[in-house]
Amino acid sequence: MTDTQNPPTINDLRVKLCYICREEEFHDKPAEPTVQWVHPCNCTLVAHESCLLSWIQSAQQDSKRAPNALKCPQCGAQYELESEKPLTLRILNSFNSVLQHSGKLVTVVGTVGLAGACCFGVYVACTSYGAYALQEFIGKELYDILLTDDPSNWPYHAYINLPLIPISLIFSRTSFFQSFPLPPLFIAWATSQPVTTTETLMRATWNPQHNVSHSFPFAPIMNWPPSPLMASILFPMVNRLYRKYFTQFRHWVMGTQPAPRPPVRRIVWDFNEDGPGQIRVGINAAVEEANGRPRRGGQQREGNRAGAEENNHGEQDQDEQNADPAAVAERTIRVTSGSLGCFIGGALLIPSISNFMGSLLLRLSKYSSLLRWFLAIRPGKTSSSPVDSFAAWFSKYDNGNATPMRQFILGLRTATYTFFGGTKVFAESDPVWWRNYIGLGIFVLGRDCLNLLHLYLTKREIETRRIKSRSFAGIDIHELDLINPPRPAKTDTNTPA
Amino acid sequence: MAVSSRRLQKELREIKENGTPVGITLLQADDFATWFLSIEVLGETLYAGEVFALKFRFDPQYPISAPAVQFVVDDYYKAPVHPHVYSNGHICASILGSEGWSPVLGVISICITLQSMLASCKERKPPPDNDGYVQRAPENPKKASATYP
Repeated sequence: MTDTQNPPTINDLRVKLCYICREEEFHDKPAEPTVQWVHPCNCTLVAHESCLLSWIQSAQQDSKRAPNALKCPQCGAQYELESEKPLTLRILNSFNSVLQHSGKLVTVVGTVGLAGACCFGVYVACTSYGAYALQEFIGKELYDILLTDDPSNWPYHAYINLPLIPISLIFSRTSFFQSFPLPPLFIAWATSQPVTTTETLMRATWNPQHNVSHSFPFAPIMNWPPSPLMASILFPMVNRLYRKYFTQFRHWVMGTQPAPRPPVRRIVWDFNEDGPGQIRVGINAAVEEANGRPRRGGQQREGNRAGAEENNHGEQDQDEQNADPAAVAERTIRVTSGSLGCFIGGALLIPSISNFMGSLLLRLSKYSSLLRWFLAIRPGKTSSSPVDSFAAWFSKYDNGNATPMRQFILGLRTATYTFFGGTKVFAESDPVWWRNYIGLGIFVLGRDCLNLLHLYLTKREIETRRIKSRSFAGIDIHELDLINPPRPAKTDTNTPA
Repeated sequence: MAVSSRRLQKELREIKENGTPVGITLLQADDFATWFLSIEVLGETLYAGEVFALKFRFDPQYPISAPAVQFVVDDYYKAPVHPHVYSNGHICASILGSEGWSPVLGVISICITLQSMLASCKERKPPPDNDGYVQRAPENPKKASATYP
């Protein structure tokens, strides 16, 4: 019996008709296996919960439709979505939206600033940012030896290298240049000589014998930490390995299958860097064949996944794409955080972050001698001790009568020592750059893990979604096709049946 | 079977059992990918006596995603001259765009909406940017960047 105190619910309907797939279900012939039905709004529309969830999901992925994704298309009532939303997910979500808003601010401020400044302004800004980044990264002490705050002391390559730093940082975040951001920032400085400041000139004048100590200007070949040049070449490899294994880890956590195609393409791109074109094509074909031949069925499925991750509006096999909460979670986060300001701001923060992480490591190293050894922390040279230059060393060996052979050997020796040992300037000062590198690595690892946690919780949230079913309160019950029709004229005198 | 096929089967059965509203005829529904229906506007309107054909294309996501709907333009059928209909048959109607579409709608309700769009027209005039649009528009109206004048 139905009355106004107990309005009918979805379970009282004689026939349920899903407004999305138009399937019907009669109350005396329930579907096998049982399908969940909902009446989520204030009108007479009812639907399968699974149909409604996939409609909501597809609407949420379109930024234009997202605001109306949870509204009934007929009566406009807001759907009530219940899902597992632990505090961590809510914190991460709000953190994401704060980032997005500040990203927008960076975009606006950045656009206005760029429009105002002419090319020279951009150049000056890039250069001073580059100098700042370098100081953050190699530490104040080395900075004062290699560059100083006074631009008149700078070596000529500083005027090209420094402004390129912010640019390369930003480019390193795009998908085309996935290598570690710092090598371009660093390679030129690894061989740079101390600048000649008035102070060093004064010292040379007053203390002539001090400066002509023609000692060997290189550090011993096998040294800890590795030479900056070696590190800059090693880190891309470490980075590549890290990416590879983190991707595997991510697929394991998210329960997805690694897609064969993107990695193949990435390998091809790497060959592209330095290999001759023909070899690259050959390898490409071989890898694809090896991947494609043996398993037909598996390849088909993985191919779909690659499609699902790469193009959102590919028309092939969208059923599977929609059904996969992991892919949906990924896209859902991507839609909300893809802002230009976040992108550039994040790239330019890298030196400060690595500096911060480096000093954090320095502080931690006070409690662990192992960490102190690993970071190779040294008190550092005092600025009054002499620094030797290549020129002085060369003049000692090259007394004007060197044969071409001798010159060649000398050059080879210089190159070997520069690569493996590094210059004495770097070797003898506190390797701030080393702990900053390590610190940045730890930061990247932490950030990736946090990202993954967010992705995982979002996936869980999508999987646990339930829509709240309401009663038909407020609807004239005579409009409804009920199993037990209301008895006329007893509770309701206006409408005799 | 894909969700779209089951839903289209239901719509087709309903049309066969209950018939179509006045002025709407099912021309062809051989598969669950492309259907053709004809519409005409009855009574005293600008399009009295004219018959137009509509081409519906459904993807496997239907009804979650909107069908691609356009007027047929060939030797026999022409698109109506209407401020919201381009001469290549593409239609500017909010219910056909992703923002206006919802699964409550179906093939017949789209036909009825378009019928009343023609019936309420006051002036036989193509859209203002017709020539430019027709030149650069893709074949499938769903791939065109939608603007609702």
